[in-house]
Amino acid sequence: MEDRPPTDAVLAERARAGDEHAFAELVRAYQGMAFRAAYLLTGSAADAEEAAQVAFVKAWSALPRFRRGAEFRPWLLRIVANEAHNRRRSAQRRDGLTLRAVADHASGGVVPSPEATVVDDERRQELRAAVNRLDERDRDVLACRYFLELSEQETAEVLGVRRGTVKSRTARALERLRGEVAP
Amino acid sequence: MSELEHELVALGRALAVPVQPDLTPRVLAAIGTRPAAPGRRRLVLALAVLALAALLATLAIPDASSALLRFLQIGGARIELVDELPAVSSSPPELELTLGQRVSLDEARQRTAFELLELDQAPDSVYLGERDTVWFVYGLPDAPRLLVAQTPELEIDEPFILKKLAAAGTRVERVSVRGKPAYFLSGEPHAVVLVDEYGVAITDSARLARDVLVWDEDGRTVRLEGDLTMAAAVEIAEALR
Repeated sequence: MEDRPPTDAVLAERARAGDEHAFAELVRAYQGMAFRAAYLLTGSAADAEEAAQVAFVKAWSALPRFRRGAEFRPWLLRIVANEAHNRRRSAQRRDGLTLRAVADHASGGVVPSPEATVVDDERRQELRAAVNRLDERDRDVLACRYFLELSEQETAEVLGVRRGTVKSRTARALERLRGEVAP
Repeated sequence: MSELEHELVALGRALAVPVQPDLTPRVLAAIGTRPAAPGRRRLVLALAVLALAALLATLAIPDASSALLRFLQIGGARIELVDELPAVSSSPPELELTLGQRVSLDEARQRTAFELLELDQAPDSVYLGERDTVWFVYGLPDAPRLLVAQTPELEIDEPFILKKLAAAGTRVERVSVRGKPAYFLSGEPHAVVLVDEYGVAITDSARLARDVLVWDEDGRTVRLEGDLTMAAAVEIAEALR
């Protein structure tokens, strides 16, 4: 019979008990998403790399308080988001960061996604500019819901707000966005 | 999902993200061997109790034994008693930056998920800050006469959101606001540090606070800060509706 890889819950439980190998598996599995989330929130590759790395180290320290049965991914992303926000605050770069990644599309050292053709360039730039004009809270909730494709509950956990707040914040952000872009 | 939402998902998938190095070796090098969870928790708790027990004798806290049992925690605020405050600038660079985004009172009412408590007199400025905190500022943002902060508690598992560090010279008194337990911190300024849910300080949030009344009001932590007597602070607190 083929061995199935251990689930996140199993790895988290082993890591919680002090198993560094299990934690390494979690790092390998989630570092891409952690970096992507931090990059969307800081707009800087260097800040994102540091935020993701520090977040994993803090997650290791905080694992004893990780609730059994809880989802590992949103719990980790919450730590990543906190680290990213700390760096954003520290640099006092409060605006125009979230989607810098889009503007950097043609720069070196980046890997374009095959889905890049789904939204044409003009519309994509219009959307990007419109999202950038939103305030930080609106951008963050849109980044979680649509760019990271998190559920409402996961977004609530990542941003540290109630699910109802995510719902209302998303609706308001979309309404503002509709007012900014052509239909 | 609407067309706009589909477009946003497509835009997200089209985002170019720089190539990142494998973080695993660096993370593993940075973490130390950690004992299993329960033992560590007991150790931390034991140290905390010892630290508090040693300090309670020197601080002016009425009903010391019951305060110890509660760890001086009200809602999302934890008051920690320490023998020495961390190094905090008494004139933080810009208070306004630590408060958050400036909004109108109407916008704050619309954007918060809870019913705001308000005084008859409208605040001079309003901010939406970290952890969904709403700040009312009376006076100039860089020299406020009164700050009122309301922070909702969250559904997720978190021990506290705000840490107040009080050393000898800061008096901590138990009072009551509309029958609800509250703490009034006065005397020497104490340090206020926002923390994330893992108890880790948000480093640039640290600042010195003046007299503060803090209590829990129906699932939100409310703080009044200013040059206030205890009676005046309670009077203002009870006028919040």
